[in-house]
Amino acid sequence: MAKQLITFRINGERQEVATEPNRTLLELVRDDLRLTGAKEGCGTGDCGACSMIVDGRLVTSCLMLAPEADGAEILTIEGLAEDGRLHPLQEAFIQHGALQCGFCIPGMLMAAKAVLDANPRPSRAEIRRGLAGNLCRCTGYRRIVDAVAAVAARD
Amino acid sequence: MTTEVRREHAVVGRPLPRIEGPEKVTGKTVYAADITLPRMLYARILRSPHAHARIRRIDTARARALEGVEFVVTAADLPPYRKNPGARHGLLLAEDEVVYQGQAVAAVLATREDLAEEALDLIQVEYEPLPAVIDPEEAMRPDAPPARLASGAADRSEEAGHVTVDVKEEEGAGRGSPNVSNQIRFSRGDIEEGFNEADVIVERTWRSALVHQGYIEPHAAVADYDATTGELTIWTSTQGPFHTRDELARLFQLPETKIRVVGTEVGGGFGGKIFLIQGLAAALALVARRPVKLVYSRKDDLLSGVPSPQAIVHLRTGMRKDGTVTALQARLIYDAGAFPGAPVVPGALLVGGYYKFPHLDIQGFEVLTNKVSVGALRAPGAHNATLAIEAHMDLMARELGLDPLEVRLRNAVEEGDQLPNGQPLPRVGLRACLEALQRHPLWRDRAARKAGNGRPRGVGIAVGGWLGGLQPASAHVALNSDGTINVMVGSNDITGVNTAFAQIAAEELRVPVEQVTVSQGDTKTAPYAGMSAGSKTLYTVGRAVKLAAEDARRQILEVASQRLDAPVEELELADGEVRVKGDPSRTLTLERLGQLTTAFAARHAPIVGVGNVTARRSAPGFTAQMVELEVDPETGQITLLGMVGAQDAGFAVNPLAVAGQIEGGMTQGLGIGLWEEMVYDAAGNLKNPGLLDYRMPTAMDVPDLESVIVEVPSEEGPYGARIVGEPSITAGGAAIANAVADALGVWVDAIPVTPERVLRALGRLG
Repeated sequence: MAKQLITFRINGERQEVATEPNRTLLELVRDDLRLTGAKEGCGTGDCGACSMIVDGRLVTSCLMLAPEADGAEILTIEGLAEDGRLHPLQEAFIQHGALQCGFCIPGMLMAAKAVLDANPRPSRAEIRRGLAGNLCRCTGYRRIVDAVAAVAARD
Repeated sequence: MTTEVRREHAVVGRPLPRIEGPEKVTGKTVYAADITLPRMLYARILRSPHAHARIRRIDTARARALEGVEFVVTAADLPPYRKNPGARHGLLLAEDEVVYQGQAVAAVLATREDLAEEALDLIQVEYEPLPAVIDPEEAMRPDAPPARLASGAADRSEEAGHVTVDVKEEEGAGRGSPNVSNQIRFSRGDIEEGFNEADVIVERTWRSALVHQGYIEPHAAVADYDATTGELTIWTSTQGPFHTRDELARLFQLPETKIRVVGTEVGGGFGGKIFLIQGLAAALALVARRPVKLVYSRKDDLLSGVPSPQAIVHLRTGMRKDGTVTALQARLIYDAGAFPGAPVVPGALLVGGYYKFPHLDIQGFEVLTNKVSVGALRAPGAHNATLAIEAHMDLMARELGLDPLEVRLRNAVEEGDQLPNGQPLPRVGLRACLEALQRHPLWRDRAARKAGNGRPRGVGIAVGGWLGGLQPASAHVALNSDGTINVMVGSNDITGVNTAFAQIAAEELRVPVEQVTVSQGDTKTAPYAGMSAGSKTLYTVGRAVKLAAEDARRQILEVASQRLDAPVEELELADGEVRVKGDPSRTLTLERLGQLTTAFAARHAPIVGVGNVTARRSAPGFTAQMVELEVDPETGQITLLGMVGAQDAGFAVNPLAVAGQIEGGMTQGLGIGLWEEMVYDAAGNLKNPGLLDYRMPTAMDVPDLESVIVEVPSEEGPYGARIVGEPSITAGGAAIANAVADALGVWVDAIPVTPERVLRALGRLG
């Protein structure tokens, strides 16, 4: 299959990659760019472990073809902390015990950021709705909701 | 989470965020699927489309011809290994018979994963379908077709890791069917006399579904074999690195010095990640002599993981007018799937293990069918039995007009009471858990909330518990040259235990917890630890860490005694230094001690504490849980309103981690009670091999859970800690069934309680 050259910005860095057009954004990011923070949990868009923010929208990157990212601005978990300082959501997840095995956490944090980007003062129900596409099997969600609510209540 | 503040300890008993938190929130934690090695090949597995069939012929020529495909491997191409067709891992690839849909038949190794996947379609397998048995009750009939033609020895090593109990298998009795692979019986008293004494007798049958652990990380392994040194290395998501090493050594007849198992972070295990794909991954690396990555797709994982069994529990129970239980007769049928290993023993122990039944007769059957074989999903086999006994407690209490919580308190087991196998219980906290619920407003004010709502509401309670596994463990605690502390263990951290280990070392060495680091070695570097299963890691490895820290403290005081010229008894360790009691001028910091034991030509040997334990006495953990829900009688839809779980942790070394375990297990219990079910059709095809249809709880389904930590200290656990991880899953399904009955007045006798089952119970569905 002929490769296609695409360019995009990921976590603020410009990237130019030649890729087969049938590959997913998740494969491109994990295998070619070696950014392995985003995970594959199902490959069918049901678990949210592969969540990234693409042009401001939360996407399940296992369902997005890599060429669709041409020209896009992508944020993955690796871009959430800046200059070695954790994002308030990352701090809050740690402090509230919102993480256990950690496998869903990169995607969950992307979803949490998308919730707050869209609505800086969400109710608990709105937070739950915003995270409903991201499965966590360890925590029971309560502490994840606590963490997001704590960040929303700040400043 | 509610817990009392304790003052007797400085570090243990305090809620601490996980020490590995920063790596996890930045995506830096390495899971097995994140590992890529030079010249690595990607493996994909061809699986049987049949539940039971003979393999006539496999033609791999076309697959081999695909560019990028390096190897196509069938059973005939595997390196020699110790086979046992009777065990789940006994055949790495099927030979002439497949016994469930999803069984591995061939593997492709290619330079890219998508090419390997593509090649699977090019492998031609000719099958001769054989009669399949799918339903466990049908499989038990004497004239049922056998679930397999080949025989072999059962392997129960994983089950033993989760629960360590004495049990005698019944010899031969009642094995009329070719598919009954194990049969047990526990009796006490005189069962007929017990029913004669009863004022109410309830008899019903309860069904629970095959459910999956649903960890978000599918099974993954990267294996590498160095033919020049004969060394096999495997990076893999397993709860038992040493167990994996032992299994690999046995399979391939390699010395354990030639195997290195690196347990990567486990992205959720819950009992399902012990030893499953590692044998095949290693075999493929032996064939390829190149690194091989084997990562399951979600479909692979649902088709051929180790889910938690479907069970049918028939119960007959009796109670006196005053609420005292008299008799329990039980017949448990656990569907093992295609290989033995179903947890019918713990089910049989727990069905009669919560209450003081003077007379009981419990029979358990493990039955083979042509479905995926089963394992543990936290407390294997417990929720199935708990559903039955806990529904019966409510049914009997209702018949007699008694309070269901009072009835449980009256009969709850205590220290000294015997389990159905005659084993006496050590100190346990079941009553304390029930009392915690009794005080809770969700229970006290339930009648007020029930009235005046449009839709029927109900509150259901259920107890649960787990006996726990036992395995030896060891740990090292070393003083660094700057006075900080290294802890080394061999267990995989699946519950936050490493944070608790840091707390234990800090407590014993009187240093801030920030000065302690905890590392998990691989099987070549780490001190031995049993598998992180059976809720025993803190109970066993935690004790080893405590002993190792005490050993290090003893060594510290000995060196300090020489340096300070004072007997050990006159020394105390506090705030990072050793002091002579009553003489503040004579002190020695841990930093100085670190230098004195590590520098060139130092006078003193390095300080390395060693802790070794073999735990022989279990510390069972009990729980009592309560669910409030609302039912739409038109659609059968259930909405959860609240849930409280009280669990005896003995002593919560890290209450934040303990609460996390309780809440996570409660949520899995809700999934079991309301949504989760692997559905097989009559031919043995899994109808829902994906996460859209295998429906796990989302953030919108689950209410704000409340965990209550109860602390009834165990006899031997560190600071009184007891098992924590597993009890939390056991009660949810039963609590759901009881809450639905409280709302509707009728019991749904199968979990998950789907809308369809609700409508059927209400008589609104044909």
